[in-house]
Amino acid sequence: MATRHAVPGRFSKPKPDENVRVVRTTDSPNCTGACGWLATVVNDVIVDLKPAADYPCEAYNPRGCLRGMSMTHLIYGPDRIKQPRIRIGARGEGKWRDASWDEALDFIPDKMIAIRDNYGMESMLLFNQVVGTGYVQKGAQVRMASLLGLSFATAYDFNGDISMGFTQTVGIDCVECETKSWGHCKTVILWSSNVFQTRIPDAKFLTKHAKQQNNCQIVCIDPRCSQTAKGADLWLPIHPGTDGLLALSLCHVIINEQLVDWKFLEKYTDLATLIREDNGQRLRASDVGLGEEAEFVVWDEVRDGLFVLPMDSLKLPDNVRFAFNGTREVEIEGKRVRVTPVYDLLEDEVMQPRYSPEEAASLTDIPAETIRKLARDFALQRPSSIVIGMGVNHRLHGDLTIRSILLFATLVGAHGKPGESVSIYSGQHHFRLDVSSWWFPNGKRPNSVPMHYFVIGGPTETINAKIKYPKHGIKGLMVSHANPLVTEFSGPLRKAIDDTELFVAIDFSMSPTCEYADVVLPAPTFWEKVDLVGTSCHPYLQMQQEVVPPQYGSRTEFWIAKELVRRVDPTKLKDFDFTEKDAIQLMLSTGGKEVEGITLQQLECGPVRLKVHDPECGLDEQFHEDKLFPPRAYPFPEGAQREFLKTGRMEFYKEEESYQRLGETIPIYRPAFEHLPEDDQRMPLSIVTPHSKWRVHSTHSNNPLLLNLNRKPVVEINPKDAARRGIRDGDQVEIFNNNGSYQLWALVTEAIKPGVLCVDHAWWDRYLANGKYHAVHTHQKIKPTHETYFLPAVYAPGQHWKDTRVDVRKVN
Amino acid sequence: MARYSMLIDLTRCIGCDACTLACKQENGTPLDVFFARVLNVEVGEYPNVKRVYIPVLCNHCEDAPCLKSCPNKAIVRRPDGIVILDQDRCRGTGACVSACPYGNIYLTRVDDRWYLNSDEPYERDFVKKRLEPQRARKCTYCAHRVDEGLDPACVVACPTTARIFGDLDDPDSVISTYIDEQREQTGRKPFKLLPQAGTKPAGMYLGVMADQASSTLGEDAPVPLPQGVRTP
Repeated sequence: MATRHAVPGRFSKPKPDENVRVVRTTDSPNCTGACGWLATVVNDVIVDLKPAADYPCEAYNPRGCLRGMSMTHLIYGPDRIKQPRIRIGARGEGKWRDASWDEALDFIPDKMIAIRDNYGMESMLLFNQVVGTGYVQKGAQVRMASLLGLSFATAYDFNGDISMGFTQTVGIDCVECETKSWGHCKTVILWSSNVFQTRIPDAKFLTKHAKQQNNCQIVCIDPRCSQTAKGADLWLPIHPGTDGLLALSLCHVIINEQLVDWKFLEKYTDLATLIREDNGQRLRASDVGLGEEAEFVVWDEVRDGLFVLPMDSLKLPDNVRFAFNGTREVEIEGKRVRVTPVYDLLEDEVMQPRYSPEEAASLTDIPAETIRKLARDFALQRPSSIVIGMGVNHRLHGDLTIRSILLFATLVGAHGKPGESVSIYSGQHHFRLDVSSWWFPNGKRPNSVPMHYFVIGGPTETINAKIKYPKHGIKGLMVSHANPLVTEFSGPLRKAIDDTELFVAIDFSMSPTCEYADVVLPAPTFWEKVDLVGTSCHPYLQMQQEVVPPQYGSRTEFWIAKELVRRVDPTKLKDFDFTEKDAIQLMLSTGGKEVEGITLQQLECGPVRLKVHDPECGLDEQFHEDKLFPPRAYPFPEGAQREFLKTGRMEFYKEEESYQRLGETIPIYRPAFEHLPEDDQRMPLSIVTPHSKWRVHSTHSNNPLLLNLNRKPVVEINPKDAARRGIRDGDQVEIFNNNGSYQLWALVTEAIKPGVLCVDHAWWDRYLANGKYHAVHTHQKIKPTHETYFLPAVYAPGQHWKDTRVDVRKVN
Repeated sequence: MARYSMLIDLTRCIGCDACTLACKQENGTPLDVFFARVLNVEVGEYPNVKRVYIPVLCNHCEDAPCLKSCPNKAIVRRPDGIVILDQDRCRGTGACVSACPYGNIYLTRVDDRWYLNSDEPYERDFVKKRLEPQRARKCTYCAHRVDEGLDPACVVACPTTARIFGDLDDPDSVISTYIDEQREQTGRKPFKLLPQAGTKPAGMYLGVMADQASSTLGEDAPVPLPQGVRTP
């Protein structure tokens, strides 16, 4: 709680303020941390923000960070949008006229109706960030899209947060143990994960709990000596893009040294299921007359015969011992067909010399003995966890790398216990309750179209048939609280926007994306509106309060959505007869078992624990209740994910034709840059673009308080690379490749591997010395295996920004 | 009487600067003034490089050179050990700034510069009132909070609870018990910065437990070609 006394040392103390309120609320930025705050309000001005530190379980206290605390400087900051604006010049020219809400709310619906009449309403696309952080306000926009028939692009996959390696293996796009679980670890591998910057409120579970109490061994795999490497026992500066090779080399050691947990593999994985040699498909019970097509068989050594895996539970009888090796023959429709367990196929791959620590060492730049010791420590010093960062995922072959990392942890059974998990905290797709009743009125969902296809100008040849790309393309775009014009594909996106007839941006700060819009609508920050907020980082559901009313001329997303429905299709207004609190109550009453019994009144008083395990280890239903994989991905119905995880176990073999065609049925190592055009491949340097300590993505780029500590965009460069190019610390430099260039300043540092550059992600262009941020990034590309199925933000195309190659030169 | 001290546990600290920001908010400091900084230091050469984060603030020295140096007697040490710089008596000579071996006193001779548009009530009515312009200014251990039984802002805001504040004269205080406990459990003993300056600082630190080693093929190994690059 704040005090309003003057700083001591002043004898003429000002009068204590009157009219002081202290409000308990939570913020909901796209770090997805959902921290509780106490806001002190004087005369309707927020004057102080302090961590609420009121979580009933003391271990979580306090939550908060420098970004949350400096929100005052965005709420009252110079870039705050104060009233609706309509463009009068060309797009991006910066010529505006201020408009009243009435005027803006006539302008947009008129255009939307024109789009509906000329092309169909599905040609208008909604893209809002990020739906999982605010179930009510962002949900209101989705509800509007559902009611009016708009298309809807989930931000999660376009952001590159979707981790297809997880979807392919466990049937859900990410697994996130709650961070309290880290505190139990004896071994932690932070695999390109920089949690000291990206998960500041949670980092204590590593430093204060795991390290201080368990003397846990913390290993950082990262080409940079990141902020998190500060707290690590071992930093492994890996050669960029070789993470998959390291993971399979670790598997090689585990198998070689007989550290495999066979009982775990039997119960939780597909590794004993049999693969047909004739067609590469998994052997079905129906193939051999033992059951259904949706049932799978293994070879049981106790019975010396086939055994059908149960499909109602993971539980197995005691007297089984599955065969993991050996090719056998079975009879299918009168033909003898050779079948081999998945494990055997994997072993053939992983035990090849190219995955031996000696050979992996020269490509990864990690000594063979270090690889061996890491594998042994992880297998033997338990509990062991891996946290994967986005640097691994943001590659075309990131899916293979993650499948390989999951295989490594799975071989030793490091899942499902406190301190044992492979997690990726990639944005908030992990909804904590079923939001369907609020988002999808009468069960109607908006038409889901991944943003990728809009950016590349239309569908690919291999697009999944479930995606209904609008016949006439996208003719209108509504972006809310999103800044896609400072993300990596801003160049092509800008071109795609040029073909639209309406581009609306809703935000509280005049971002580069707003600068390019036709109409800008001022929205409140999360300190000025009611919402319901959950996070995967901790198990508390919280209510966001309207600490002060929407400031300046802003209006909530909820209000804007309702007004647009009223104007575009008034017949639908009856389905928007709600207040924010009604929406919360609706979601609580239909949200599922996690929120059973939780009431609005409880939430008004403070954080309320969801009905989940303590601590949540990730995949709790599978490991505690023997429920088949995958865990349900809200807001989709139970069973929606079954088609891409048919066995109900962790799948290390993907049988579909698309995987067979790419040769990616099992996790293998593919060189990271092989898919780039040759000219791009020849660029000598890798570039990584991690999250910054000073921002939440691009939010806070313009926070004057944080800019006081982080003054200029810099590129981190090793002295060797700098010297070769005549670059000195502080020089203005240009990063370039065949796609483009931009200029900023050099930070010459020993804390980065030679051959690698690092620029913090999401600087607004105006802070650069010249050019557009991300102008160098490689082209949008979609891996065909990511199109084999489609479930929005669960099975959908990912991103590969880190595959970019560049060079840098001094600007004279 | 109390003897206040702040202990910073460098094992817990993640170098996140939450303390820096919490302090700015609590004390209303202008542009470029930071009472609670975090030094971000890079030690060694690649690959044997370490990152070191050292949060620094006024050490509230028992034998404070700033206090002795002030020609206007504007600096006093309270009986509880907190060193206060009286904003009304300070004439801005800067003697204390020169005297402090830690560089933790700030004097801006130009007018204070701020962050927001001048008509924003937040800064105009609530922030700028907190400190006097053109005076020497520094951390007070948030004495105004301490006097109300609250911990300093940087302590409350630290997301890893790396900052432990309390009364060293009270054996049951959080700081005294933490020191004893850590000596026993992790074998770490508190140390102070620049003991050779002889100022008897109240602020102290506990060391980093992580090994901070690195492992690569080393200097002799050639930098491998990027994987996937087809050599022309």
